[in-house]
Amino acid sequence: MKKGSRAPVLFIFAIAIVCIGAAALHINSSGVEAEQIDWDLTLIGDTEMILSYNEVIAMSSYEGSGGFFTTVGTINGPFDCKGIPIEELCGLVGGINTSNTIWVSAPDGYLMVFTLDHIKGDFITYDPATMREVPHDELKVLLMYEQDGIILNDEMGGPLRLAIAGSDALLTEGHYWVQSVERIEIR
Amino acid sequence: MKNKSNISLAVIAVMVIAVIVIIAIVYLPGQEDTKLTVIYAGSLVVPFDKMEQAFESEHPGVDVIMEGHGSIQAIRQITDIHREVDVLAVADESLIPDMMYYTYADSYVMFSTNQMVIAYTNNSKYADEINNSNWYEIMAREDVQFGFSNPMLDACGYRTLMVVQLAEMYYNNETIFNDLIECNFNPAIIEEEDFDNDTRLVLVPEVIKPQKGKVVIRGGSVQLIPLLELGEIDYAFEYKSIAKQQGLQFVELPVEIDLSSPGYADIYRKVVVQLGFQRFESIQTRRIAKPIFYAITVPKGATHPQLAREFMEFVLSAKGLKILQDTEQPTIIPGNHY
Repeated sequence: MKKGSRAPVLFIFAIAIVCIGAAALHINSSGVEAEQIDWDLTLIGDTEMILSYNEVIAMSSYEGSGGFFTTVGTINGPFDCKGIPIEELCGLVGGINTSNTIWVSAPDGYLMVFTLDHIKGDFITYDPATMREVPHDELKVLLMYEQDGIILNDEMGGPLRLAIAGSDALLTEGHYWVQSVERIEIR
Repeated sequence: MKNKSNISLAVIAVMVIAVIVIIAIVYLPGQEDTKLTVIYAGSLVVPFDKMEQAFESEHPGVDVIMEGHGSIQAIRQITDIHREVDVLAVADESLIPDMMYYTYADSYVMFSTNQMVIAYTNNSKYADEINNSNWYEIMAREDVQFGFSNPMLDACGYRTLMVVQLAEMYYNNETIFNDLIECNFNPAIIEEEDFDNDTRLVLVPEVIKPQKGKVVIRGGSVQLIPLLELGEIDYAFEYKSIAKQQGLQFVELPVEIDLSSPGYADIYRKVVVQLGFQRFESIQTRRIAKPIFYAITVPKGATHPQLAREFMEFVLSAKGLKILQDTEQPTIIPGNHY
């Protein structure tokens, strides 16, 4: 091959690499950068505290697997979930005990109430392959901000979503996975 | 050498073509089917699956996107989450005027009904003994386990509490609710009698926590079916359509308590269930017992209103009603409500 004839080939090759990179970015990103997210989380317990999104994700995180199913049995996940354990967030405003309930809500008015047993991982879990109930190891209830390595966007229930995750990739009932969490109140 | 460079060129050419194809798939709009979004009550999953297939076969180029939810959650997709939904079918007709009039819908059509039953299998304890006059005694026996769906999450769940409360009145036995429900939960699910002109109020706490292992609670009534089949529970409160679709045995309850008949609406409405917390902003926590009617509507914000009306008319047509009947979903003569 003549030396001069390599230039267009290399040019095409470079374009190909750039295009592959662009396509890969398109496929593997939620299109959201953490720095762009403007979201506050209100914690209410013995005291009240408002954390910005960046303050939340700066806390020590937990990673585990978990998914959920809907009323009609549609399976979502399991996903690799990364987030802050709810118990730690509650600890910032006085902590929780057996007489407390934890009220987790979103701006659209959706609300779920959890007990300390829930927060400690007491859920019925299901095998995603058979949808049969199966026992589980330790589970954590997380305020998830990354799913399968992707920052949660609106369509994924972000930027902060409740998730139930552990070492086994099991499913829980979908109504627990509160989307767009903006308030956690201990009562 | 020349061969080598030809191979390199060919490899690069293939890569470039592959990249162009990927980009075309990812970025360029294609010739797509018209997507019709239909959201329906979870208990309609079997008939509406068939409805989708039948409608698509008659409408080439239309892709019906089916999505099942609990009825309140289904409406909430429109009223709270503001999704563009073409057709909505719910298991409680009163939810449409209560939650949608007149911003999101201004009419609906009732098309189906249902009734509450006690489902079981041949392996359930006392299966050869249970009938519609002794079911509450058998379910209260120490060695019997039964289940119902969480009343905070599922209409079948709060309808179970209504049925048990109505049973006290029908059988003139004031211990039924306590024996089956109240004593099996901590905190208790409490009944308050005569709180308002001969009406009975059932108070559901924020947290539904069964005690002693006698009662099993799951988020949806469909999740109780595998537990019945595996013998982990003996009985479950279910809709008759679900019991029949799943091939289960069931006890038909007296019409005075099974929430099936408009003729007994005055009796049903004597029971009110007060839920422990307001799960959705758009609906209050008080549920009044009433006959079960399914309803369908085209919401005001439908993306394809004409096609949506065609789908609704298909459901209400002789063909659509036959699909419902063939899948054990009881039909009624469709009636408009404005």
